[in-house]
Amino acid sequence: MSELRDIARAILADGRARVVIGWEDARRGARPVFATDPDDADKLIFDARCVHNLVTYLNPRRDNVAELGKIALVVKGCDAKAVAGLLREAQLGRDDVVLIGVRCGGVLEASDLGQPLALTPENVAPRCHECDVREPNLVDYLVGDPQPDPPRPAMTIDERIAALESRPLEERWAFWTEQFSKCVRCYACRQVCPLCICERCVAEKTRPQWIEPSSHARGNMSWNITRALHLAGRCVGCGECERFCPVGIPLSLMNRKLQQIVAERYGYVVSDDPEKPAPIGDYRLDDRQEFIK
Amino acid sequence: MSIYLPQLATVTDLVDETPDTRTLRLELQDAAARARFAFKAGQFGEYSVFGAGESTFCIASPPTRQGFIECSFKAVGKVTTALREVNIGDTVGFRGPYGNWFPVDDWKGNDIVFVAGGIGLAPVRCVIWNVLDRRDEFGDVTIVYGARSVEDLVYKRELQEWSSRPDVRMVATVDPGGQTAEWTGEVGYVTPVVEKTAPAAANAVAVLCGPPIVVKLTLPVLAKLGFADEAIFTTLENRMKCGLGKCGRCNIGPVYVCKDGPVFTAAQLKQLPPEF
Amino acid sequence: MSIPPIFLTESTLRALAADLLGAGTQVIAPVAVEVRTSPSASASAACRHPGAAPVEIEYRVLGDAAGLDLGRRLPVLSLKQFFLPAHEALCRWRQRGTTVQVEAVPTEFAPQVVLAAKPCDSAALAVVDKVMNWDYADELWNGRRAATTIINLACPVIDESCFCTAVGASPDCTKGADALLTPVAGGYLLEATTEKGWAFLAAHAERLKSDAGKGGEEPLGHQAADERAAARARAAANLEIDAASVRAWIDSHFEDPLLAALAVRCNGCGACTSVCPTCHCFDIVDEEEGVGRGTRRRCWDTCQAPTFTLHASGHNPRDDQNSRYRQRINHKFAIYPLKFGEVLCTGCGRCTRVCHAGQDLVEILAAIDVVARRPSTTTPGAPDTEAAS
Repeated sequence: MSELRDIARAILADGRARVVIGWEDARRGARPVFATDPDDADKLIFDARCVHNLVTYLNPRRDNVAELGKIALVVKGCDAKAVAGLLREAQLGRDDVVLIGVRCGGVLEASDLGQPLALTPENVAPRCHECDVREPNLVDYLVGDPQPDPPRPAMTIDERIAALESRPLEERWAFWTEQFSKCVRCYACRQVCPLCICERCVAEKTRPQWIEPSSHARGNMSWNITRALHLAGRCVGCGECERFCPVGIPLSLMNRKLQQIVAERYGYVVSDDPEKPAPIGDYRLDDRQEFIK
Repeated sequence: MSIYLPQLATVTDLVDETPDTRTLRLELQDAAARARFAFKAGQFGEYSVFGAGESTFCIASPPTRQGFIECSFKAVGKVTTALREVNIGDTVGFRGPYGNWFPVDDWKGNDIVFVAGGIGLAPVRCVIWNVLDRRDEFGDVTIVYGARSVEDLVYKRELQEWSSRPDVRMVATVDPGGQTAEWTGEVGYVTPVVEKTAPAAANAVAVLCGPPIVVKLTLPVLAKLGFADEAIFTTLENRMKCGLGKCGRCNIGPVYVCKDGPVFTAAQLKQLPPEF
Repeated sequence: MSIPPIFLTESTLRALAADLLGAGTQVIAPVAVEVRTSPSASASAACRHPGAAPVEIEYRVLGDAAGLDLGRRLPVLSLKQFFLPAHEALCRWRQRGTTVQVEAVPTEFAPQVVLAAKPCDSAALAVVDKVMNWDYADELWNGRRAATTIINLACPVIDESCFCTAVGASPDCTKGADALLTPVAGGYLLEATTEKGWAFLAAHAERLKSDAGKGGEEPLGHQAADERAAARARAAANLEIDAASVRAWIDSHFEDPLLAALAVRCNGCGACTSVCPTCHCFDIVDEEEGVGRGTRRRCWDTCQAPTFTLHASGHNPRDDQNSRYRQRINHKFAIYPLKFGEVLCTGCGRCTRVCHAGQDLVEILAAIDVVARRPSTTTPGAPDTEAAS
């Protein structure tokens, strides 16, 4: 912790960044903090309650954060993948942000706890099982001691997907209809996603109205499936969309399934290396094109 | 019967004022509703094309003329584009009249100065005709109206009519560069033309409407000419949906444009937070 | 008219629910719902209630009396959804050439009962009644209100994010409701507070007589009063504000940097407005459902959405999150009280609990209350707006 605070303090003192975005301990548990003064650096913490993907604050739509000035962001390995996504899609230049990486042993799925709890297969964040970047790459600084592996969740997301896929089509359709009927179109999933960066979201377009605005099952399916498709090959699996959803829709099942398909068809898994080409957004002059008629 | 239920109206006339602005004349289909329909100058309605949605415009025809209402709009979005495609004989929806109004009855005996820019002439036109239809109740009538170019002037035929009336002082202007060889009106932005026209403020009220920049720049000119803030009336626009104070979208601070407005005095405008 | 409180055991209460269901009356009540399907919801339930089955409470249409949950936990969504549904038809149209037929939707609804409602949720309905009847009577809202009898269940106060007593409600209030159940030894005391409530008691008099005399020795009235007072004290301990000063401060400090600083964490995700019992902003849209036919609907909208105030011209009076978050605070704690005499909030705390970015309304209101009560009403580091004016 003191290593993190020292680095943040120094960065703010010498102006390498104007704001350090990390986590603090507040009345209701851990939450994002925006430290603009070197003294604020003492507020920074990192423990198992620090589940938030703070890269959402780098989203180009976030004017009120951008106006604070150059950002230094505290990132776990999974979070750094989202930064790589933004770099890959030219939403950000590497020099636009300072990254302070923290070594992570897994996090809880809830931040609003007075104290961090020991991780168990029940309370560990589902995202942690998919983690392959326990030591974040891409960062300017790396703090914290090496951590043990997080416990395996009672049921991983892949296992849940497999269980669902083993059910007959009618059952799966009924399942998703029921889940999407709950959606109230608050768009929390989109707002919190670090890779939902469109200045005008497809759901907001009226000419034509691609997606019905009302929250009936039909409109909701249209929205949720469209968003999942727009994230195919881009989603880093941070799980924030599902965590923020006020009505508990299992969005990670859909997003993860699409990543499985991308891995299978294109041999691509989202990584924290911004140079690694992605199936959507990268092209080369020698790409196959004989199917374009 | 729900307050959200639209009345049906037939399009009985249409005029393409400019390449992107159209005026529609509507008659309510229900004879009894048509006969008893009444409104006051400044009020607005929610006009719809079924399938595209509802849009908010002032009622641009005067309350002194019965049996029809008119609206003028620019085709900028989904609904206005659909409204631009309706033909004479088509059916549209209408809800209204909503909002407050210009206190025209309070102005009896006053001189009235109308200032408008661009499509802002639409709500002002309603008041102009309201006043002209009761001409002898009021004093001098001055109209200063400008648009970007001759092509962009709305209600061109009425501008001619007002110019030719001896009981109206009509000053039309286009922005520098917007004039044609045939143009005989003024050339200049609305604000300096108002200053040049110098309408007398004693015993006068001003009605002002236009793009935000025109309103913003003209208010101090009117003040300089001696118009008190309480004697300057304008009408505001904001994104609206229900039109009757429930959907929570159109407020500027504590003021709901659809219910507490859309007509405000300059004095009231100055009380509003900078949120419009 | 005054009927003394009636004692009933839990089993009688469930039998009452069964009577209603048997008569074909729709009953809305808190129900426990397993959340195993969402990996996130199950894991976060395990964080908050280790060892327990991952369950959320929701207000649902009751299928059978056994499903009625009396654990007094807070349902995820408020009662708002049953009076202003997340989407509802306003009218339907059919168009053929130039002919259009518009079909109105019903504004009368079958009688229904809400059992074991949270007092903050019912109080919210009374608050929203004001705007729904501001000159134009919203028949859809009013129709559902008229058709519904609401029986509150006094609340023990959920956690440190409840603050009902600071905003004109309380864990035992009956504002917006018709009757109140208060837990006592062996069961509940039930008392009605409106004509509708008394009519309900009269209609179910036989069932409600079942436990007469079984209430035990200790005066139940005192027990109930003590329980309710203790809950009120717990809520008050979470937050006390001078609502009038807060309103006056917000009204006169529109551009104060304090309001901007409070918004920096906010994602504009709109989760707060969707779970809020008093947020009522809606959109109206036409949705085509075939050639020449469709439905005009209203659906929940949020002032936190970037396009909420976007004009077709492209102008947006609130085009950044700071101004949108300020609108939320302004609307709830200054504008609505100014126009309707009620705070547009009943202190249920859902917004704080659902905000995973850490926006905390108790903290925010406490911060505003502090500066509002200061004689010079300045905030540290802010220009002295009082002195300047």
